[in-house]
This record gives sequence, structure tokens and C-alpha cells, in this order.
Amino acid sequence: MRRWGLRGARNDKIGSLIRVHPCNPWLFYFLMRSSSPQHTGWKAIVFRHETLLAVVLVVEWLLFYHYGTTTNRRGVIVGFGTFDRQFDILRHSCEIGLLALALTPVILTAGIDLSVGSLLGLCAILFGKFWHDAGLSIPIAAVLTLVCGALAGGLNASLITTLRLPPLIVTLGTYSLFRGLAEAITHGAVTYTDFPESFLFIGQERWLGLPTQAWVFIIISGAMWLLVHRMTFGRSFRAIGFSPEGSRYAGLPVERRVALVYTLAGVIAAVAALIYTARLGQAKADAGTGYELFAITAVVLGGTSIFGGRGSITGTLLGVAAIAVLKSGLATLPVVMRMNAAEEMSGLLTGALLLLALTGSVLPKMLSTLRTR
Amino acid sequence: MNRYFRELSVLVALVVALLGLAVLAPAFFQPQPLLSLVTREAPTLIVACGMALVIITRQIDISVGSQFSVCSVCAGLLAARGWPLVAVLPVSIGAGALLGAINGVLVAGMRLPSIVVTLATMVTLRQGLNLVRQGEFVNLPDNVQWFGLSQSSGQWTLVVAALVFLVALGLALRHVAVGRWIYAVGTDAEAARLAGLKPQLITFAVFVFLGGLTGLAAIMNLVQSPQIQPMVGAGLELKVIAAVVVGGVAISGGRGNLWGGFVGLLLLTCVSPALTHLHIEAYWEKAIQGAIILLAVVADGIRQKRSKN
Repeated sequence: MRRWGLRGARNDKIGSLIRVHPCNPWLFYFLMRSSSPQHTGWKAIVFRHETLLAVVLVVEWLLFYHYGTTTNRRGVIVGFGTFDRQFDILRHSCEIGLLALALTPVILTAGIDLSVGSLLGLCAILFGKFWHDAGLSIPIAAVLTLVCGALAGGLNASLITTLRLPPLIVTLGTYSLFRGLAEAITHGAVTYTDFPESFLFIGQERWLGLPTQAWVFIIISGAMWLLVHRMTFGRSFRAIGFSPEGSRYAGLPVERRVALVYTLAGVIAAVAALIYTARLGQAKADAGTGYELFAITAVVLGGTSIFGGRGSITGTLLGVAAIAVLKSGLATLPVVMRMNAAEEMSGLLTGALLLLALTGSVLPKMLSTLRTR
Repeated sequence: MNRYFRELSVLVALVVALLGLAVLAPAFFQPQPLLSLVTREAPTLIVACGMALVIITRQIDISVGSQFSVCSVCAGLLAARGWPLVAVLPVSIGAGALLGAINGVLVAGMRLPSIVVTLATMVTLRQGLNLVRQGEFVNLPDNVQWFGLSQSSGQWTLVVAALVFLVALGLALRHVAVGRWIYAVGTDAEAARLAGLKPQLITFAVFVFLGGLTGLAAIMNLVQSPQIQPMVGAGLELKVIAAVVVGGVAISGGRGNLWGGFVGLLLLTCVSPALTHLHIEAYWEKAIQGAIILLAVVADGIRQKRSKN
């Protein structure tokens, strides 16, 4: 474990700390953490954001299970409570889940990336173009798409780090640029279809009992968890978000780490684009419109502080699950079905949920400052 | 000269673009289409003025597009019921101010980051509107169009009104105490607080002001068309932010002015008709807009870096 730079978070004792180099970001992070009072014992587990979110998720699921499951005229169970529907939730949450995973390190470093949804669209188009127009084979086209994703993420990264520009405005610019390029390449009309069966397998079939893309998602989330929580390398993201100046003084290569985070977000957006294309069987310029909102909501809902420095991959995964269940569950409710407004309802509720999560995250602090005053 | 370097450089870019168009596509300069183009952008100018204030206080509001739609539909429904425009106008401004106040409370009162708050309100408002209206159009009575005037006098009224407003607000920002407060808050909120200002209150007020202006702009847009479609105003936020940022208002707050925003808006406005006249597909517009934003911030970044060295 030690050889990889992997380390348990809670089991480490001060004794082993002393042997670490003082510039070690992990040491820095430990000191940073220990300076703020924390719950201990059972309270630490019960009052963690993740635990609360998990309870909310279960309640949400049970509610939809109760109200969203019906039997049709032939006596067959339809709606939320079926296995197919559960697999559907998995299938549909993969792209937004991947984007949320990509955004977690970005937000941990106190940045933001609004361009991931547009980049998904651009990568989907590029993949279609590589395969259909350039006549490349699927694997080569996929690899090229990933490279393009990395380049696009690298564009964000280089503007943010070399010129010290605010991530918000840079990614707002690329948000427009990437979507515009996708529209320009397709002339707003071309849709790439007729992908081979072997490629559609990723998006539409099952492998070992689960939807194929769920495996991709599981692998990437596992890798991200290792990176963010178990590697000194990834744990520095939180240090950077907590205090960029402090991290610089602690000897962290802040610029390089931040650049890596945005590039990684680009690559993961490209992976999401491939999965999206395989699921729908077509690549369109409007792929992934508005996904950035869902992804940011999932991350914030998962307890990651929008000011950086605090958060976890587990929380993000729970946030993604909560949003996916909400989206899918709403579509099965009879009321919503009658109104034919599942899309609008889920967008509305996600926005409201984000506002609630945001206010909920600052309310305790506000109340405590009021009390002390 | 040095103080307005940033604005002048954008002005030079605009003049170069116009000269290029004069050579390559003289058809661009026909008076009537040009007037229509400028009239269409008059509401955008009003919103851009408000957005400049918000960005000067180091905040951002990307929900203006949705606010614009909500105000337009509300105003349109009232006008369709036979309300006179004089009565619809304050309602629309009030509705916009209310929506701005929601953002203001969340940003200034709870100290949440404005980008995430307004992202959430943007989608909530947009989807809420879609849910209620289901994509239905609002048909307006005839007497609403151009305030009941003839087309050209209506157009002139709008353009002149927008320009007068721009000049008034631009001068006020520089010469009235409240205007200076906005810069003070954007430059350093803590220093402003120590100097006796109330930064949170000013931030809140600026968001409400932007909301009100959005309501006003919705009316200015309303009188131009016979019907209101619910997607009106989609993408407005990007256009306005792009114009303001291109015009030299620093996203890091405390720097820039309305004149720059005005020139930036003119520059961006030229893009779409210029594409048509140069026989380039309109689908490039979004990409070019994004590229212009990036170019503007990169230029700012390089300049800042050089001045630091």
C-alpha cells in the first residue's frame, strides 16, 4: 500500500506522521483537519452528511416504490417497482454520474466547470465524425475522442492556470464554444446513426447482469475514490481548495494539480459522450444539454462544499443516485404522467433541490454566528 | 487615454469589423435593416447595463434569460387581457425585481456563490414556466405593438430610450455616490464594510435592480412582436455576460464601465448579421461568441500578468 502512496485516513497515528516529509500534502491536510473540531464516535457516523443523504435516498426510493408502482389491465406490474425500471435508472444515470465524478475534484479545488455538458455534445459529434466520415474503426475513433476530450479539458486548464483566469468565466466561454463547434460541425442538422451492434452493446445491453455502462461507471468511480481519498496526490485537491496559498507554501505544485483536474474532467466528459452515443444509438449536437446543472447539483447535494476543500466521492455517488431516482421516479407517478411533464418536473425539482442543499449547507453556520453575536 | 485603454481597444476592434464589412458586404449598411437590428438589441442593452453592475460587485447572474421569459409571459398574458401598457409596465418590472430579490437574498443574505444560486434559479424558473405554459404562445392585441405608434417611430422610441438610459446610468455610476459604492464593494467588500458601507445590502440591491431592468427589457421586447413564445430570452444571459466581459468589465469585480459594455454589445451584435452577409452558416454564431469571450478574458489575463511583472 505504502509503495503506491495509498494510506488509510483514520488509522494513522501521529507517530507515523513524524516520519513523513514536512512538505507532504497529506501531513498538511491532516494538520488542517485536526485544527477544526469534529464529532467523534457514533455521532461521527450518524451525523455525517453521507449518512443523512443515504437515509433520504432510501425514503425517496420507498415513496416512489409505493406511489409509482401500478398494475396494468392485464395484471402485470408496471412502473417504478420493476427490475427493468431499476436497470433503467442505472442506465440513465451513468452519463450524469460520470460528469458529477469529473466535477467533484474540480469543485474540491474551489473551481467550477460549466463546460462539461457542452463538451459531451462536442465529443459525441467528433466520435460520430471520426467513425462515420473519416471511416476509422470504433476503437480508434473512441481513443481519438478521448484525446479530444483531454485537449478540450486542457484548454480550460491552461487558461485557468497559466493566466490565472477565474474558472467560472473561462468555462462559461468554452461552454458556448464547445456547443457552438458541435453545432457548426453538424450544420445543426446532421445526426450520426447506424453504429455497429458491438458498439451499441456498451449502451443498450447487459453484461454480467448489469447494464454494460454501469460497469464502466463502477470502475471509474472506484478509481476516482482511490484518487481522491486514498492517494496523497488526490488528497491534495482538498488542500488546494481549502487554501491555495497555504498549499503553495506547503510545497504543492498547485498549478499542475489544478490543470490535471480540469484535463481529467475533459477525458471523463469524453467517456460520458461515448456512453451517451451508445445508449441512444445516435450522436447529435444537442447531446448533454443542461447536464452540467444535474452534475453540479449531484456534487453539491453530496456534501461537497462549493467553496472547495470539503467533500467526498461517496457523497457525490449518493447525490447522483438521489437525482437519478427522482428523475426516473417522477416519470412513473400517475399525476405527472397525466400532465405529461416529467422532464419539466424533474428539472424544476432538481433546481429547487440544489437551492435547498445550498441553503441547508450554510444555515447551521449562519445560525451559530447569530447565536454567538 | 490610459484609463479608457480597454474600452478604446474594443472600439477599435468594432471599427475594424465594420470597415471589413463595408468592404466585403456593403449590403450590411442599409438603414432600415440596421435600425431593426439595433431595435432588436435595445432590450439586451438594458439587461447588459444591469449585468455590468452585478459583475462590478463581483457577482454574476445567469438567470436573467429565465427571468426575461417569465416577465415576458406575465406581461404578455396581462396585455392579452386588455391591460394598458402603462399598467403592465410596473407589473413586469415588479415581477423582475421580485425574481432578482430571490437571487439577492440567497447571494447577499446567505453568502452563497452567485454562480450556483443563479444556475439553480435559471433552471427552476425556466422549467417552472414550461410546466405552467406547456410551450404555449401568447398572442398580443394589435394596440400593444410599438406602443400603438407607427413602426419606425416605435423603433426610434425604443432605441433613443435605451440610449438615454445607458448614458444616465453610465454617468450616475461615475458621479453619484451610490455608483461609487458599487465599485467599492466589488473592489474589496471588507474594506467597503470598514469604510461604513453595507456590502451585503448593496449586493442585494444590485440584484434587485438587474431584475427590474430585466422586467423593463421584457416590455421593450414585448412591443416588438405580435406574439410571445415561452423560449424568448433563452441564451440572453450568455449574450449579455459576453458583451459586458468583452467590454472590459472585470469578472473579478470593481473594474469596467457601461461604455465598454455598450461597445462590446455592438461588436457581438454585428456577428450574426455579418455571418449572413458573408455567407457563413449561422451555426457558427455560438462558437464565435464563445471564442470572443475567451479572447477578451485572455487579453485581460495577459495584460494583468504583464502589469504585475
